[in-house]
Amino acid sequence: MLNNMRVGMRLSLGFCLILVLLSGIIFISLSSMEISRYNLERIVTINNTRIEMANGMIDQVREVSIAIRDACLLGDSEKIQAVTANIAKIRKEYDEYLGKFEELPAEKNREIDEKIASIKAVQQKSRDLNDEVVALAAAGKIEEANVLMHAKASPMVKQWIEMTDDLVQLAEKRSILRYNEAKESQSEAYRFILLLGIAAVVMTIVISIVLTLGITGPLDICIAAAKRISNKDLTGDLTVQHNRGDELGIMTQSFRGMIETLRDQIREITDGVNVLASSSNEILVSTSQLASGAAESATGISETMTTVEEVRQAARLSSEKAKMVADSAQRVVQVSQTGKNAVDNTVTTMLHIRDQMEAIAQTILQLSEQSQAIGGIIATVTDLADQSNLLAVNAAIEAAKAGEQGRGFVVDAQEIKSLAEQSKQATTQIRAILTEVQKATNVAVLATEQGTKAVDGGVKQSAQTGEAVKILAESSMEASQVATQIVASSQQQVVGMDQIGVAMTNINQAGVQNASAMKQAEVAAKNLNELGQKLRKIVDQFKIKEA
Amino acid sequence: MIEKNKPLSIVKNESEQAILKARAQALAKEPEKIVPASELLEIITFRLGGETYGIESVYVREVYPLRDFTPLPGVPAFILGIINVRGQILSIVNLKVFFKLPGKGLGDLNKVIILHNNLMKFGLLADEIVGTASVLLSTLQLSLPTITGVGREFMKGITAENLIILDGDKLLNERKMIVHEEIAFTASK
Repeated sequence: MLNNMRVGMRLSLGFCLILVLLSGIIFISLSSMEISRYNLERIVTINNTRIEMANGMIDQVREVSIAIRDACLLGDSEKIQAVTANIAKIRKEYDEYLGKFEELPAEKNREIDEKIASIKAVQQKSRDLNDEVVALAAAGKIEEANVLMHAKASPMVKQWIEMTDDLVQLAEKRSILRYNEAKESQSEAYRFILLLGIAAVVMTIVISIVLTLGITGPLDICIAAAKRISNKDLTGDLTVQHNRGDELGIMTQSFRGMIETLRDQIREITDGVNVLASSSNEILVSTSQLASGAAESATGISETMTTVEEVRQAARLSSEKAKMVADSAQRVVQVSQTGKNAVDNTVTTMLHIRDQMEAIAQTILQLSEQSQAIGGIIATVTDLADQSNLLAVNAAIEAAKAGEQGRGFVVDAQEIKSLAEQSKQATTQIRAILTEVQKATNVAVLATEQGTKAVDGGVKQSAQTGEAVKILAESSMEASQVATQIVASSQQQVVGMDQIGVAMTNINQAGVQNASAMKQAEVAAKNLNELGQKLRKIVDQFKIKEA
Repeated sequence: MIEKNKPLSIVKNESEQAILKARAQALAKEPEKIVPASELLEIITFRLGGETYGIESVYVREVYPLRDFTPLPGVPAFILGIINVRGQILSIVNLKVFFKLPGKGLGDLNKVIILHNNLMKFGLLADEIVGTASVLLSTLQLSLPTITGVGREFMKGITAENLIILDGDKLLNERKMIVHEEIAFTASK
């Protein structure tokens, strides 16, 4: 049962027992000390003060009686007045003392209370008497005063002082009583403390032995196991007390688990070391191959660098060519613009020509119509000539009828006839000419029609040419823009090639570094291989299975 | 321009030469002899169906252009129709039909020769009036016996220039020219 209890619980239980004993001792000693302290305090503060007060009261009473005697002796009214004032002052002090005495926080004591009451009665009587004495002395009746004083006042005062003395003695008695009480309680406390102290010592010894034995047993087993582990021996088992429920049981179980884990780990490490050894061997081979590969890639990179340099030169050249192309494209754009303007002018000119041709056709048509009209006129003239011919014939007939007288007129008629003939011939000629003219005008009409058609064709052609030149201008503009873009992109290409060159240089350096790093890696792989061998040796030292 | 001018100048030269030639020929002509009027026969020459005819101007009142004519029904075929000459209604005889000559159609240029004597008055259709001429009676050949047909009896003679002279008097006095025909209107009666 004790074995299943936790160590902390066990410790606290033992210490609690000891603590209980110790606290009993402390409580007892403290309570006895408190009692004795209380008694002593009572003695010091109350009883001693009471004694003091009572003594003070006695002194005051005596002083008053002395003052009264002085007053009786002097008999001087002025001095008596001073004495009276003095007496009042002293009485006041006495009242203060008495007040303090009564105010003290003491236990009610019947004896003391009765005594104080009797003192107060006596005090009143003696004061009255003393006042009478003083009054007499002040009135100059000194003898009467002396008589009164000796007869009544003095014995009264004596009684008062004696009673006060009894009060002092009563206080002293109470002090002694208190002291005895304190002594008794102290001795009782001493006995208790002694008994309890012995018990505490015995308990402590017992508890410490039990606890130590409970803790050290399992610890020794663990220590032995740890020593074995430090000697690289992982065999053996911790079977003892493994069913304990306390921390030590847990500790031994944990220790056992730890040993098992270590064993497993060592086993795994052994496997790992084996793998490491073979892997490091492989890594060594691979790094050797990589090193040779890195060297090859370094040479390849330097070859690529020369190629990149050539490509960069080519890109620079192509950039210059692209600039030239862009300039020429710009010129082409200007030329095509000029051509476009020229073609536009041509189109307008062609349109003008068409208008002109139309005007010409119109004119020729008018001409044709007018020649038709001329034909009509010619027909009329022919008709007229015909009629005049007939008239001439008729005239000739008439002349012939006239006979010899009409012979002259015959000649005239002949002449008229010949004129008519001539005019007819002339009209025939005119008709012939007019026919020619009409033919010519027809030809001209046809020609103008053809010309108009040709001009229309020319207009169309020039319009088409304008379109073509426009398209040409647009395409040359586009070509110019494209050429500009090509220039920009080839510039970028050149820049990019420069960057590629720089990058290739960096790559070259990186390749060289890579090669050297691969060499280092090779060395490191060798070291790793050796390390693996070492590790295998170290791991082999661990004993895992029972030999 | 020079190449075009060249033939022009040649033509000009040729026309000039022709003019010169004509003048020369005119100058070279013999002046006509003055012949007495009794020996001359005044005629009007005209064309009809390709032939040139002449007719004595004594029987010709005037020539007139054939403009508007009105065809008449119920007349022989040689009567073309009637025309109005200044208020006078005249019948027109188509000699081509009368002489049974081949002929072409009528035209605007056709003329009418109005013949007349004391008794008769009618127009002869002619294709063309050539003009007046004087023919020497001595040169006139009498109608040849070779000529046959309807026209033979109306011919006076033929000149050396193949001008057929028609006998106006015979034409005017021809009985066939006088048309008198009645059409029985049996249907209306």
